[in-house]
Amino acid sequence: MILGLDVGGTQTDAVLLEGGKVVRTTKTPTGDDLLETLGTAIEKTLESVDPPAITRMSFSTTLATNAIVQDRLEDTGMIVTAGPGMRPEWWEVGPSYHVVRGCLDHQGFEALSLDRQAVSQAASSISGLGISTVGVVGKFSVRNPVHELQIAGMTKDRFSHIALGHRVSGLLNFPRRINTTYLNAALYRTHRGFVDALNQTLDAACLRAPRYLLKPDGGTIELNRSCDNPAHAAQSGPAASVIGALALEKCSGTTVILDVGGTTTDMAVVVEGMPFLETLGIRLGPYRTLIRSLLTHSVGIGGDSEVRHGQNGDLRIGPLRIGRPCAFGGPRPTPTDAMICLGLLNAGDKGLSFKAMESLGAPLGLGVKEVSGLVLEKMADMIALSAGAFIHELNSRPVYTIHEVLHRESIEPSSCVVIGGPALQVAPYLQKAFGIPCRVPAHFEAANAIGAAVARVTAEVTLQADTHRGTAIIPELGMEKKIDGRFNVESAVSMAMEALRSFACEGNGEESNEVSVSERHVFHMIRGYSRTGQNIRVKMCVTPGIIREWRRL
Amino acid sequence: MIKAKRNTGLVFFPAYDWAISPTHPEREERLLYTQDQVMEEGLLDVDGIVEYKVRPASYEDIRRVHFCVPDEEAVTTQSHLIAAGGCLVAADAVLKGEVESAFALVRPPGHHAMRVVHGNRGFCNINIEAVMIEYLRERYGVNRVAVVDTDCHHGDGTQDIYWHDPETLFISIHQDGRTLYPGSGFPDESGGPNAQGATVNIPLPPRTGEEGFLFTLNELVMPLLERFKPDMVINSAGQDNHFNDPITNMNFSAGGYATLNAILKPDIAVLEGGYAVESALPYVNVGIIMAMAGIDTSNVKEPNYDMDYRPQPPDTTRYIEKLVKELQGLFLEDKLKRTAYRAGEIIERRRDIFYDTDMISERQHENIRICGECAGAFSIDSSSSRRRRIFAVHIPRKACSACSAVGRAWFDSAARSGSFDHLFLQDRSAGTYERI
Ligand SMILES: [Zn+2]
Ligand SMILES: [Zn+2]
Repeated sequence: MILGLDVGGTQTDAVLLEGGKVVRTTKTPTGDDLLETLGTAIEKTLESVDPPAITRMSFSTTLATNAIVQDRLEDTGMIVTAGPGMRPEWWEVGPSYHVVRGCLDHQGFEALSLDRQAVSQAASSISGLGISTVGVVGKFSVRNPVHELQIAGMTKDRFSHIALGHRVSGLLNFPRRINTTYLNAALYRTHRGFVDALNQTLDAACLRAPRYLLKPDGGTIELNRSCDNPAHAAQSGPAASVIGALALEKCSGTTVILDVGGTTTDMAVVVEGMPFLETLGIRLGPYRTLIRSLLTHSVGIGGDSEVRHGQNGDLRIGPLRIGRPCAFGGPRPTPTDAMICLGLLNAGDKGLSFKAMESLGAPLGLGVKEVSGLVLEKMADMIALSAGAFIHELNSRPVYTIHEVLHRESIEPSSCVVIGGPALQVAPYLQKAFGIPCRVPAHFEAANAIGAAVARVTAEVTLQADTHRGTAIIPELGMEKKIDGRFNVESAVSMAMEALRSFACEGNGEESNEVSVSERHVFHMIRGYSRTGQNIRVKMCVTPGIIREWRRL
Repeated sequence: MIKAKRNTGLVFFPAYDWAISPTHPEREERLLYTQDQVMEEGLLDVDGIVEYKVRPASYEDIRRVHFCVPDEEAVTTQSHLIAAGGCLVAADAVLKGEVESAFALVRPPGHHAMRVVHGNRGFCNINIEAVMIEYLRERYGVNRVAVVDTDCHHGDGTQDIYWHDPETLFISIHQDGRTLYPGSGFPDESGGPNAQGATVNIPLPPRTGEEGFLFTLNELVMPLLERFKPDMVINSAGQDNHFNDPITNMNFSAGGYATLNAILKPDIAVLEGGYAVESALPYVNVGIIMAMAGIDTSNVKEPNYDMDYRPQPPDTTRYIEKLVKELQGLFLEDKLKRTAYRAGEIIERRRDIFYDTDMISERQHENIRICGECAGAFSIDSSSSRRRRIFAVHIPRKACSACSAVGRAWFDSAARSGSFDHLFLQDRSAGTYERI
């Protein structure tokens, strides 16, 4: 059996799955103590279940997100090397940020050696503040980590934890590398503490199955391994819902997944079962990062959104949630009240909903039923409009080859999958607004926890080889190898494949056929008019998806 | 968070799957390292810098500018259409007011492509700036346009296309034609009989450095623009004046290009040449983007600048000062000798054009009608070493009725003569394009 948990802002959802079936779903209020909430939810969900029967446990938590949003990050020093371009001082982050001289060019050649004296000074001034965690980041360190490694080597005795920039992602983006490394460092101790405590809790409950954390890219990472890059497990909630929808409903063609909640509706686009990813990475609070993430779009309309009159005698919905729906004693009419008045939902105090809708409709000369219908139509229209803008944005993504300009098909959704609390009530209205079939899968209300439970391990490697310089490097894994002139794109693909497998394998051969090559480029490096070598770039990933055990259904 | 002072659009099209030939400088990775540098700097995260997706230009867009022999399909590839289309995307972004300025970082380049196209000249088939300018005029009613070509090579294609247009000021700053391809671009090339003074060539000596370029810009180019009062300024942003460029002899730098752009403030910049793909382009392009967006560029510097940048020698400085003074006299103080022609008169011009990349020789015989009311109709009788002879007529944008009639009459009589493989009529005033 598989246990999945998704910790939300107010509520923690848990599921127990077996043989492609949902055995149990539970809901637990999310308390201030994450570990306690998890403990309660696990206990509730596993009631009368024999612990050894659990074969996989997967969690989506708000630990990192809360730490960032509530500004509970550990004081962290930063040591940065840059070189020409945008001024590195512009990317200052944390209480003790130091730029030291040293420069690598875009191919990883050392243009200016590291100023070791400045590194020592920076380290002294950081530890002088009583700070014991640092992030070390170099511009172009993913091309050559030499300066980051030198700095780490020089300062390892002074700090208890050092996060390195080249390990966060193979992508180029220095400011985001700085932010991501900073977060990895500043979250480390909190995260480590959580992982240790969770391990203890699970051990104590005799739950010994493999443990995973969900990431925002819709994949999971082995719990202990998540300590290498703690920020990579932040904000996985939206991904949980998307993967859940994929697990519950066959998404062939182009599908819009709509997760209708209380305050917002979150959406994602999936083509042939493959969700779109952010080009660079997720934004966590004020920090733009290189953390791989599903591309989701949020619009401020949900079941509890405030409905009011606009200036032109029309109705406005959201983006604010003033309180609970009137039916539950809230101050303002909401779409939920409209559902109650239309008899779509049986909840709360009908009389209160009725009264609210009556006074909403009166100035427009509309009765309760009419205005309630209008509210839901308007809500669906606004969601559809927002989805249209989102899809337009996807279609406007730049491409860099002739082939892509001529052959990339534009995205046109052929159906929607609707999940979240009011899914059943709004789906008919959404179907009308979108003009395409809108399906609501079984267990739609627990899609997020199901997503957390069945998401497979994902990973990505970026290999860059330069036969002229004689090196191949996979920064995410800290791998650097000498190569000779015979190294070619095939060698690069198999090197990357091997690295990816050893990292992302769940121990049951799971990923072998799920690896996809997302980039494969060979450029001839030419000096004057003759070839001096090859610049080979391979990017490979285990794409987000569902573990086989569930798909066997 | 860094914010752009001016909202700036970027159209990036490196065409990673296209090259003239495997070892040709105009090959796949030309913009690879530029893209690496732009990405690593995080420029696309800057608030106010917006990246746009390219689209291919249509044959119709090209017909407003070129006479393609035998037709558009034969002389262009998808890559040319997309490079031109990238400029159109930049133009749309600016003219729709989404951004204040835009930079089309596309390849292949275009400024050596002339009005008649038999093949590839100087790595260019289609003049992407001209295609964009005529699109701006057609679609958005833009009238007066100034092109400042800062490529190291004379922009002879753009000069040719706007030779007869008094409403397009073409200024080319380049390495002296006596020392570099294409060997043209001297001060006496100053525009056709109906557009005298609308072409300004500034041939700078080899080894011109930062101070020479910026002096020329401040003392000559900016006053020329001030005087011309263009609706839009286009920068043909070639980057081969760079001290690291392998095929030229100038001493300009990334910081210098950035300063030039900060002063010039072009509405649209279009990448032209520049073949130091690793040691210059990444820094120059980052500098230009930052300058266009109004971001401080004082840290934009090549890693080898301190070691390899050679300041401008004093004799070069003196030469440039003298040249600029002469050109100020000609173009700012009206000392340019203008020939007085009689309205209705037909002026002939014969010349030979060589297409270095495709090894084609072309012979042209041009007739233009002198006109005080419009830019004047002209015809071109062109034959190439590929044994094709064409006859082409251009009727200008705001043609007077006499010029329209003359142009049409030329076309009809050439059609009757039967001595041409193809006939072209480019009637910009009526918006009709014919090819027989
Ligand atoms: Zn050039
Ligand atoms: Zn006329």
